[in-house]
Amino acid sequence: MGAKRDMDDHLSGADEKGGRCSRLSRRKFLKLTAMAGLSVGAIGIHKQSDSAPSVQPGDASTAKGRWISTSCLNCPARCGITVKVAGEKAIQIKGNRSSLISEGEICPRGHIGLQVLYDPERILSPLKRSQPEKGKGIAPQWKPISWDQAIEEIVGKLRTLRDTFQPHHLLLLSGLNSRSNEDLLSRFAEAFGTPNLVSGDGLDREAEKTGNWMADGHFDACAYDLDQTNYLLSFGADLLESTPPVARWLRKWGRLRREKPTRTKVVDVQPRYSLTASKSDEWIPIKPGTDAALAMAMAHVIIREELFDHSFVKEWTVGFDQYRQIALQHYAPETVSKITGIPAETIRRIAGEFGRTRPALAIPGKGAIAWPGGSYTSYAIHCLNALVGSIDVPGGILYQESPGYRAVPNVAYDEIARKGFEQPSLDLHGTEGFPAAQVVTNQVPRSLLEGKPYPIKMAIGFNSNFNMTAPATGQWEEALKKIPFYVHVAPFISEMAEFADLVLPSTTFFEEWGYDHSSPGAGSAEVRIKQPVVQPIGDSKSIGDILFHLAERVPGGVTKAFKDVGGSAEGFVRFRTSSLLPWEEFLKKGVWKGPAYEYGKYPRIFHTPSKKFEFVSGNLRALQIKKGRSVKEEIPSSPHYSDLKWLGEEGQYPLVLFPYQPLLTFGNGSQNYPWAQEIFLPLQGVGWVSPAEINSETARSLNLRDRDEVWIESPFGKIRTRVKVSEGVHPGIVCIPCGQGHTSYGKWQKGIGCNPNEVIGIDFDVLSGQSAFFNTRVKIYKA
Amino acid sequence: MAKWGMVIDLDKCVGCQACVVSCKEENNVPHGSPEEQRSRREIYWHKMIAATKGKYPYVRTELIPMPCMHCEHPPCVTVCPAKATFQRDDGIVVQYYRRCIGCKYCMVACPYGARSFNYKAQEPKAYQRQDEPPDRNSWAPWPFPVRTQGVVEKCTFCFHRIDQGLKEGKKIGTEVVPACVEACPSHARTFGDLDDPQSPVAQLLASRASFRLREELATRPKVIYLSR
Repeated sequence: MGAKRDMDDHLSGADEKGGRCSRLSRRKFLKLTAMAGLSVGAIGIHKQSDSAPSVQPGDASTAKGRWISTSCLNCPARCGITVKVAGEKAIQIKGNRSSLISEGEICPRGHIGLQVLYDPERILSPLKRSQPEKGKGIAPQWKPISWDQAIEEIVGKLRTLRDTFQPHHLLLLSGLNSRSNEDLLSRFAEAFGTPNLVSGDGLDREAEKTGNWMADGHFDACAYDLDQTNYLLSFGADLLESTPPVARWLRKWGRLRREKPTRTKVVDVQPRYSLTASKSDEWIPIKPGTDAALAMAMAHVIIREELFDHSFVKEWTVGFDQYRQIALQHYAPETVSKITGIPAETIRRIAGEFGRTRPALAIPGKGAIAWPGGSYTSYAIHCLNALVGSIDVPGGILYQESPGYRAVPNVAYDEIARKGFEQPSLDLHGTEGFPAAQVVTNQVPRSLLEGKPYPIKMAIGFNSNFNMTAPATGQWEEALKKIPFYVHVAPFISEMAEFADLVLPSTTFFEEWGYDHSSPGAGSAEVRIKQPVVQPIGDSKSIGDILFHLAERVPGGVTKAFKDVGGSAEGFVRFRTSSLLPWEEFLKKGVWKGPAYEYGKYPRIFHTPSKKFEFVSGNLRALQIKKGRSVKEEIPSSPHYSDLKWLGEEGQYPLVLFPYQPLLTFGNGSQNYPWAQEIFLPLQGVGWVSPAEINSETARSLNLRDRDEVWIESPFGKIRTRVKVSEGVHPGIVCIPCGQGHTSYGKWQKGIGCNPNEVIGIDFDVLSGQSAFFNTRVKIYKA
Repeated sequence: MAKWGMVIDLDKCVGCQACVVSCKEENNVPHGSPEEQRSRREIYWHKMIAATKGKYPYVRTELIPMPCMHCEHPPCVTVCPAKATFQRDDGIVVQYYRRCIGCKYCMVACPYGARSFNYKAQEPKAYQRQDEPPDRNSWAPWPFPVRTQGVVEKCTFCFHRIDQGLKEGKKIGTEVVPACVEACPSHARTFGDLDDPQSPVAQLLASRASFRLREELATRPKVIYLSR
């Protein structure tokens, strides 16, 4: 009798005998699970419990657990982590000390991974839509089906596309996926014959990459050496919140401030007093979109006062005379002061500090480059680093080394694939509209709506959520409706999944095989493993395995391409990393580190016509010549500032919308995690909301008070939230954090906050295809 | 006897709140909800507050991570009518959950808002640790798996780690630290024996300007901040 009561008491959650506790007795628990099984058909989605009533005493104690090395995927940093598993449950997450990038540290999102894994509202089986009408707010009425049924339907449609020589009518969308899954996806797209594999990169920092490419030929974001940097100048880069790899910045900040003989000075230039600004030495508010002017004014001062690195400029750059002319003639601090709103004295002082402190780094952020003309802003900022000799030196910019994965056999295009690749791609990258772009994510909805260059017959999305994360979410919604057959692959029902005909439950990164590397990282190459720490939850399968499964069933080039590359997701990872280190070691350590970074590789590091750093872009000139007459207009090939073009007339829409990404939502697809929600905005000390922050004077002039309910309206739509009156906001803008305003699922996120992307218009940096996020004007008024 | 204290360097702190989340992860502290935040009923063993002053463009926000201060003169201990909270010999202020009658007098008395009340039963979660107390002596303040409805809970300086570490002969402050100290990515936090002049905490306090919160109340907190 005593033993049975003890068992019941323990299962009922009592921590000591006789204490008041949650009421789940063993009998009730058994009843509930039986009932839960019956309810699957009725509801459609089996809500899994995130409780653990069946764990025996002692099983989940940390003493009995084991640590498994893997890597995170809550954001693009992909940090190495170790996960403690006890009683078959993941109960704790720490960083992986073997990883160099963040010295084994992780950010809070790493810990929040536990709530990602055990999200009670994950999808547990494939689902089929039974409500034919699609639209925001229209319930799909999911019916659970078997994997066999789902795969059969998908394969049937894929085969039809190939049989009719129309492989290009397949659109593949990729959100945040592991590198191994990305590699498998591109292999699948290649073998299938579709040029339409679109990632979310076009929403991220393509303008930054293009600016770098114009200067040194590297179409990539810069890696930063950081340990010895003595001056950090952020142009709208939220270093401590959303500059990947975030955990690296968090660790290095401690090093730079107090773990070296000289304390690094940090200056944050942006319209918003960010968390980074609060930790920096100076916050310099700037009129949004004018960062290129400031960078050129700094060049003006540094050149005029002869503070630049003479030997680097003389030996390893070209075009300096032209650059110098432009800077001295057009970008005097007094002139730029009028453009940026920053006092000329401040510009002189900061430029002087930057020019006199070695090594110094200027860092571009999304707020500076996600604009029309953003490529040139990135170029101007990158040139500052060259000017002071911070290229490929300790404390300066590094060129990220790539891991030497074992090469996969080339995809042999069959004639169907060849036909597909003759077609232009949907996102128009590389065309005259977007000459230097590699992916133009936000062109896709336009192309879908116009049915140009051709209509899409089928689409598959892998962890994509562009009708949430892209500007003009409404356009994506209309475009998604036009896709006759859409398959969504993710662990949860995102906003994009709501438009799907079929949903396949994929595993989270905790339950799958993969390899990952971050770019940029620490300069030297590093690969981190992804291995399952727990069994897949529900009937979820990893994306890698899904792709192998599909490939086996689509005959021809696709099946061939997926032979001899490992046979499964695990096999693929093993294949690709076999050139790096022994498998057993990789499983245990979780990290492979490449050779130590080599500095000063000037003879071979610049991929430009002159083989030097170029202040006048030979790469861009060559591209113009290649495109010939098809390039729309005369494209300048030097860094410069151009007047801003707004979406919305200043008279009607007096304020500029300035969205930003807090650490806790940066790069994520779901926010259904209460640990993240409750501490969402540390600077404002609030959670569970996304307020519209405006300057106190602006509020006064608009007769708005703190916590007033307001509409924020652009020419493209309106959203509703509460006002937060703040001293840390430029008077001409309204700041709204991203990542809230979910509408599809989630007890902890649905209906919470608002999504600024709903009212942002579609605009681009033409060169790179970068979506502009900051040139939409709005008005704000009481609701 | 050691006198455990914590030093937090606000110059290195990056305001990321890894300390807040890792504490919840380590100690099975329940998450809140929008309603609970509105009615100030969310439970935190470690929180972070923001203090802002100034006018545009001369603004300053100080972000201050706050665990329990484990005061040398803890007002919570003085006021507890059930003697459910008391100070160990090593200075850690602990809560005896079984004695707590839920009157919340300690919450009123604490000048730091370090304490939270369990207004409802905590839901069991899959990711919770289920550790059993190592012996009868640690039974009463043992916080795992969860605390019951009706009692107050707060930061424990992770005494479960410290006690286990001491048993295993490990060095506290280097090999064994509270979860928040371990999780801090910028290495802003240090833990150790304030009475040992060789300890990192003592050395930091000797070399930098520092302050404690609400010093005028003479609670003598043992969480000390290094100024920026």
